[in-house]
Amino acid sequence: MENENDLARRTLTIRKTLDAPIELVWEAWTQTEHIVKWWAPKGMTVKVVKHDFKVGIEWKYTMPMPDGNEFISEGVYSVIEVLKKIITSANFRPMTEGVEMRTLFEKDGDKTHFIFSVVHPTEEYKMQQEKMGFYNGWGSALTRLEEIIKSFKK
Amino acid sequence: MPVETRRDVFQAIADPTRREIIRILAKEPMNLNSIADNFDVTRPAISNHIRILEECGIIAIEQQGRERLCSIRPVNLKEVSDWIGQFNMLWEHRLESFEKYVNQLKSKRSNHGKRK
Repeated sequence: MENENDLARRTLTIRKTLDAPIELVWEAWTQTEHIVKWWAPKGMTVKVVKHDFKVGIEWKYTMPMPDGNEFISEGVYSVIEVLKKIITSANFRPMTEGVEMRTLFEKDGDKTHFIFSVVHPTEEYKMQQEKMGFYNGWGSALTRLEEIIKSFKK
Repeated sequence: MPVETRRDVFQAIADPTRREIIRILAKEPMNLNSIADNFDVTRPAISNHIRILEECGIIAIEQQGRERLCSIRPVNLKEVSDWIGQFNMLWEHRLESFEKYVNQLKSKRSNHGKRK
């Protein structure tokens, strides 16, 4: 249970039901020509440096930041099941390293159920952070801080 | 003793004792002695944490007669939730953008289909 709770605390999940057939959703999610249209936040552009959509192969996107640096997203696909599931490791440098992105697709007639999760960070990363004395109570501390901040806003 | 060079909100909350101090002070402002009463560690140790929290901009210390009253500065704490929030917001925005794009793509394709 401890582990499940912990996993839940480290996972961001977003579910959507998209009003489009699964083939189209899959294509938009996985093809470079489409990715460049939706990946970047408003006002930014994304460059797909590497995107060979195969298991064990690295992908890498970059976004130039206003200060001249680059925001890099990269990872390696570990699971690709066509029209079903994609799992990839991911780093978002300079902010986050060692997360796992899971995307699940489920056909529902002409619609598609889409479940996206980011597990961050991995157990290994967490242990590393614990050794540094950094992670200790981090999650719960943040929850508390958010509560504190909310109470101040009232 | 580790060398502590950074002075920002993230350093402030990196230590469990400091997090507890923040939590206590969030309820009400207190002087150093009252804060120290909540902990098993020495007063100088608490005093050191208070100093770091002040340098990080998390608490304000106000001289009231002989007392030094510590209180929270929530504005700077907000930076933490903003920092965490940006990751969730980023993905929510990105997936909204994905959804819009899928809808556009769908209508584009079906228009093409009709013309044929």
